[in-house]
Amino acid sequence: MLEKARIDSMQSTLLMVSMILPTAILSLPAFLLNLARQDAWLSVIIAALAGLVIAVLVVSLSLRFPGKTLFEYAEEITGRVPGKIVGLLYIWWFLHSSALIVDEFGSFLCTAVLPNTPVIFLHIAALAVVAYAMYGGLEVLSRFNQLIFFGAITFLLVGFFLSTKEMQAVKLLPLFDTDLVSILKGSFVSASWFGEIVIFAMFIPSLNKPGKAYLVAASAVVITAFFLVSSLFSVVAVFGPYVAASWIFPIFDAVRMVSIANFLERLDPLIVAVWLMGEFVKVGVFYYAALLGSAQWLGLKDHRPLILPLGVIILSLATLCPNVVELLDFMSTSKPPYALTIFEVGIPLLLWSVALVRKKRGKAD
Amino acid sequence: MKKIALFLLFISFTGLLGGCWDRSEVSELAIILGAGVDWTKQNQIRLTVQIARPSSFYGGEPGAGGAEAAAWVVSADGKTIEDAIRYLSAKVPREIYWGHCVILVLGEDMAKKGAGLVTNFFERNRRARETIWVMVARGKAEEFLETYSDLEKTSSQAAGFLNRMRTGYSVKLMEFAQMEASKGVQPVATAVRLTGAGSAPGPGQKKSPEHKEVEISGAAVFKEDKMIGWLDVHEARGLLWLKGEPVKGVVTIPSPGEPDKKVSIIIRRGSTKVIPYYDGNKILFNVFLTAEGTFEEQQGRENLDTPEKIKLLESKAAEEIQKRASLALLKAQGVYGEDIFGFGDAFHRKYKKQWRTLKNNWDMEFKRAEVAIGVEVRIRETGLMTRRASTPET
Repeated sequence: MLEKARIDSMQSTLLMVSMILPTAILSLPAFLLNLARQDAWLSVIIAALAGLVIAVLVVSLSLRFPGKTLFEYAEEITGRVPGKIVGLLYIWWFLHSSALIVDEFGSFLCTAVLPNTPVIFLHIAALAVVAYAMYGGLEVLSRFNQLIFFGAITFLLVGFFLSTKEMQAVKLLPLFDTDLVSILKGSFVSASWFGEIVIFAMFIPSLNKPGKAYLVAASAVVITAFFLVSSLFSVVAVFGPYVAASWIFPIFDAVRMVSIANFLERLDPLIVAVWLMGEFVKVGVFYYAALLGSAQWLGLKDHRPLILPLGVIILSLATLCPNVVELLDFMSTSKPPYALTIFEVGIPLLLWSVALVRKKRGKAD
Repeated sequence: MKKIALFLLFISFTGLLGGCWDRSEVSELAIILGAGVDWTKQNQIRLTVQIARPSSFYGGEPGAGGAEAAAWVVSADGKTIEDAIRYLSAKVPREIYWGHCVILVLGEDMAKKGAGLVTNFFERNRRARETIWVMVARGKAEEFLETYSDLEKTSSQAAGFLNRMRTGYSVKLMEFAQMEASKGVQPVATAVRLTGAGSAPGPGQKKSPEHKEVEISGAAVFKEDKMIGWLDVHEARGLLWLKGEPVKGVVTIPSPGEPDKKVSIIIRRGSTKVIPYYDGNKILFNVFLTAEGTFEEQQGRENLDTPEKIKLLESKAAEEIQKRASLALLKAQGVYGEDIFGFGDAFHRKYKKQWRTLKNNWDMEFKRAEVAIGVEVRIRETGLMTRRASTPET
């Protein structure tokens, strides 16, 4: 067992929310609004149900093999070589996802705050901080997350509440204006975000009460869905479905609209700060999963020697996208089928059914 | 060895000092307060900006011995706004900063050419706010910005505050964009003009110099993004009622017993409900306006302080509001043939299936639609008085 730290249910729930939410409210709303307009929130609710199913799948699979991560029981279920291949695929996915997150936030910062700064410096700065935290391991990450989580959520909610003055609830009507196909397309896209809960398979062995894993995963999905739905509501109520869909980062613009008494306005730096902290944790979770996975894959006793090499890989992957349009296009059209079919549903389902057929089961501690 | 390495690393950090790409110092910014855009005879965009002069914003008493103007107005031509800014920056020795721009004024010609040629810059630019007030100047935007305000520091701020008070019809850039995007409503922007403003002479002054000041004067009606006509002040008030925007205003009606004397009622709050009916052929809109007001002024001497008289006043005021709303409706349906009230959006909310076919021809449908306006006014307070203090003894 590589990671000796233990995290409690609360910490792991918050960690899982921070693992999905930051990019889910950064770029996902724009994709959803383009597909399903004012019915986007329905897409999210359907996707959240799918997310719950994925969560149950992953947790029940992990609980069959107590104390083992995805990489360890994959080998146990399928045998050494196929298990290694599955592990390699997941290492790639974790690295690639980290790179996408880094790139997404780099683009956001570049667009919103620092247009003259070369984006690679934003990538390096972000990754350097996360890499430093990686030396501390899981416990440092989850404690940091616990520290910032409530502050970030408070800022976010205050932002929403302050913009109620600009909101008109009628803009959310009529319901079911778009056809079912668009709504389902939207839920497919957002399901790929909720499906990231698969990464929880790397953390279940570190829970102090693994029995609560179902509750942790389910509440993480529900909390994320709640914030995503409320941000969609507020964006549509402020801008109407058409204008809302034209922003790259709709929540950012909704907060920019806040102007109370000619005095309480220009709150956008606040929301940038919230996102930066979220980025830190989100990249941290994926980076850490990649580290832990590769250490187990290589049979190392410590993940620390891998921090720098993997960081460099993430950095170079993050610079692959030539522009923001291509990045967002990838996130909205290619990423959902790619992530969902292979990593979030495909492989876990395969492992689960093979384990069931072969009656494989880990030894209880 | 380790210490030396650390020391060298530390020294090398100083090399980073030169590389702050996004540094911007307040003292190096040209803070734009208002922007005006005109369409020139050479088919170019003329961007006029009002730049704040920070030194004249504080310190020194206003009017005390040659006060400086609080703003500098400068313009440049270009093919697009950014292009014009490039020429502008050849004249402005500081970095042009849009973060505090409060108004966007389109010249009449520019608005007729297409507001869409202009507005995208202000939406896309990260510094410009989505809350800029959009206005159309009767005449040139350039002249509009060249004025100053006696009460506020600059005419941009004066125009911004006028909009913020919502005394007339006012619209933010984002609201304008939403109207442009929706098929169920055509955009309307605030109309502004310059008007001669007499100003009270200060102590030791004979008379302050005559100049023009900004005034809100109705609204400009657009078809998609091109301006097609104006609404006057009264029609703009009717527009506000029918659009369901917060209405603050005064209704003046003849006193019931003495028709040549007037009574004024201040409208405190109001609401608008638009209920569409569609039977597959005819469209009917039932519009219910409710207003709550205070009876604030009376010219005549009759005693209006009885429940019956108040009821009478209420119905008279309702008639008056109905008249104003009909005025705007008549102009929109008859003259412009454009749904500027968002009735289409209301229709969309109730008949979403039928809307899919009707929306592409909504102008025609709106023109044919029947609109019934019902108004209810409630007078809650009567100011500090029951009857006139000067009511003669009986």
